[in-house]
Amino acid sequence: MTAVTEQVPKQQPPVKKDDDTGLVAFIKKPIVARLLFPTLFIALWLFVDGLEISKVFPAPDRVAQFMWDELRLETLARTNLYETLGLSLVRLFSGFAVSMVVGTAIGLGMGLSKSVDAFFHDWVMAILAMPALVWALFLGLVFGFGHTGPVLATILAGIPFVIINVREGVRNTPRDLFDMASAFGVPQNRMTRHLLIPSLMPFMFAAARYGFSVGWKGLVLAEVFASDRGMGWMIKFWYDAHRSFAVVGYAFFFVVFAFFLEKFVFDKIYERTFRWRPSAGAIELVEEEVEEHFIDALDPEGASTLPKQIRED
Amino acid sequence: MAHIKIANLRKEFGVGDDKVVALQNVNLDIEGHVFVSIVGPSGCGKSTLLNILSGIETPSSGTVDITQDRHDANPGYVFQAARLLPWRSVMDNLLFVQPDPDAPEARERCQRYLDMVHLGDKGDKFPGELSGGMQQRVGIARAFAVEPDVLFMDEPFSHLDAITARSLRRELHDMWQATGKTILFVTHDVGEAVELSSRILVFAKGGRLEDDITVDMPFPRDAADENVAVAKAHVLKKFEDLDLVAT
Ligand SMILES: Nc1ncnc2c1ncn2[C@@H]1O[C@H](COP(=O)(O)OP(=O)(O)OP(=O)(O)O)[C@@H](O)[C@H]1O
Ligand SMILES: [Mg+2]
Repeated sequence: MTAVTEQVPKQQPPVKKDDDTGLVAFIKKPIVARLLFPTLFIALWLFVDGLEISKVFPAPDRVAQFMWDELRLETLARTNLYETLGLSLVRLFSGFAVSMVVGTAIGLGMGLSKSVDAFFHDWVMAILAMPALVWALFLGLVFGFGHTGPVLATILAGIPFVIINVREGVRNTPRDLFDMASAFGVPQNRMTRHLLIPSLMPFMFAAARYGFSVGWKGLVLAEVFASDRGMGWMIKFWYDAHRSFAVVGYAFFFVVFAFFLEKFVFDKIYERTFRWRPSAGAIELVEEEVEEHFIDALDPEGASTLPKQIRED
Repeated sequence: MAHIKIANLRKEFGVGDDKVVALQNVNLDIEGHVFVSIVGPSGCGKSTLLNILSGIETPSSGTVDITQDRHDANPGYVFQAARLLPWRSVMDNLLFVQPDPDAPEARERCQRYLDMVHLGDKGDKFPGELSGGMQQRVGIARAFAVEPDVLFMDEPFSHLDAITARSLRRELHDMWQATGKTILFVTHDVGEAVELSSRILVFAKGGRLEDDITVDMPFPRDAADENVAVAKAHVLKKFEDLDLVAT
């Protein structure tokens, strides 16, 4: 028997041969490659700025100055950066929490029962087919400039993705593992805890990521039309004031925030939850599969341009 | 001693034009410390039989009855694929099917059977970190660790390389000898069946039990041994007579 054990190849990452030398090796370093893009981007930006095609084209230093001022609470707007971001985050998280809870419940129901699926199916598709802009305008008209409109917009944007991911998760529960557990007479609560919930986790994770990022976009749009505060409104404010550098600067705050969230929240949770996965990055596959499946489901005739646009807006 | 009684068992899947008869007219009596191999062409209902005996499927008609000294027998099942929870460690996979996973004896027992399949130091690995053969051995340890009265095994070695399969066959045989269990063992490999079994059941397409062969030779049986080769040829001949070979 020991002979067999010895035969099993030890799983080790293949030793990487570093044949490249000089400049190529330098560029190939991950950290250098990562920094290369922003560097090139700024160079291009400076170049275009130097062409002086437009008077309002924002110069990089002007944008940086604006961002620095905002960070130091020096602003012309009536709420500062932290208040603005804080308000939007409270709206985002409340909307996100509602779409996760309600979406998970509906998704579980749809996955488990054909009639529940039939009941909600067209509604989910309808919500998805509606451009976020229409929600924003409509909610602004109905609810005025309060919290209700933006929060509802966040929910409406995110919830279909939560529902569809959870439904797929339920449909993809590993039948053979449940059979195994029942053959051994494993009790129901142990099955739920160690089998059902872990098997849903990748789908819940995809649901959270989508629900969050799509909800965020729905929120910002709603804040432009259905609010007088928040990140979206602030970008509109600077737009009205003809300060292109401020519009760009605020957009960068977004990007930086999204980056930190991805890196320090989602990636960390992912690592902890999916320690058992041999290959990292499998979650992206799940997301893509679900998405594709869902596009097919939405548009069996194949004219899938509409949902794609909505998805990527 | 475990006692398996199967009477007039029939199993159908689907309805109307899609109807498939997986098993019909099966009558069997299996008792005590026996190693029973089930052979037959693909689709003849071998897995279905084990699934019914272990309660995963229910019969369409007829009865199955498994008792251990007049109580319901406690089954173990080794599947064709290991069927481990990928998100739980090897040890937790064994504990998952234990009657009382929190009892300290449970952990000790699981460790003992992991040692038995030479994976004693792999308890805290995830299944994905093990090779296919190691995963299969975890599946075997899991089934043994519930100390079942009856052990069902569905082609447990068919996906393994010849050398791993051979050493696992030896381990299985030793464990069977040491523990006195009743084992029902599905295989495609007549040689494997002859080497391990005290009894071989031959099923044919449509799920009929065609033959019931008692193999009365001393263990351990070596594939190179003349008597084993003769017995194997004998069973293969039966296959040919039943027209089961080309499937
Ligand atoms: N869940 C199911 N639904 C429908 N048909 C099934 C199901 N399970 C088995 N069958 C059918 O029943 C028959 C017997 O299947 P079974 O899996 O028991 O065969 P087997 O003898 O184990 O074959 P193999 O050697 O290929 O594993 C086959 O025709 C199969 O298609
Ligand atoms: Mg089978």
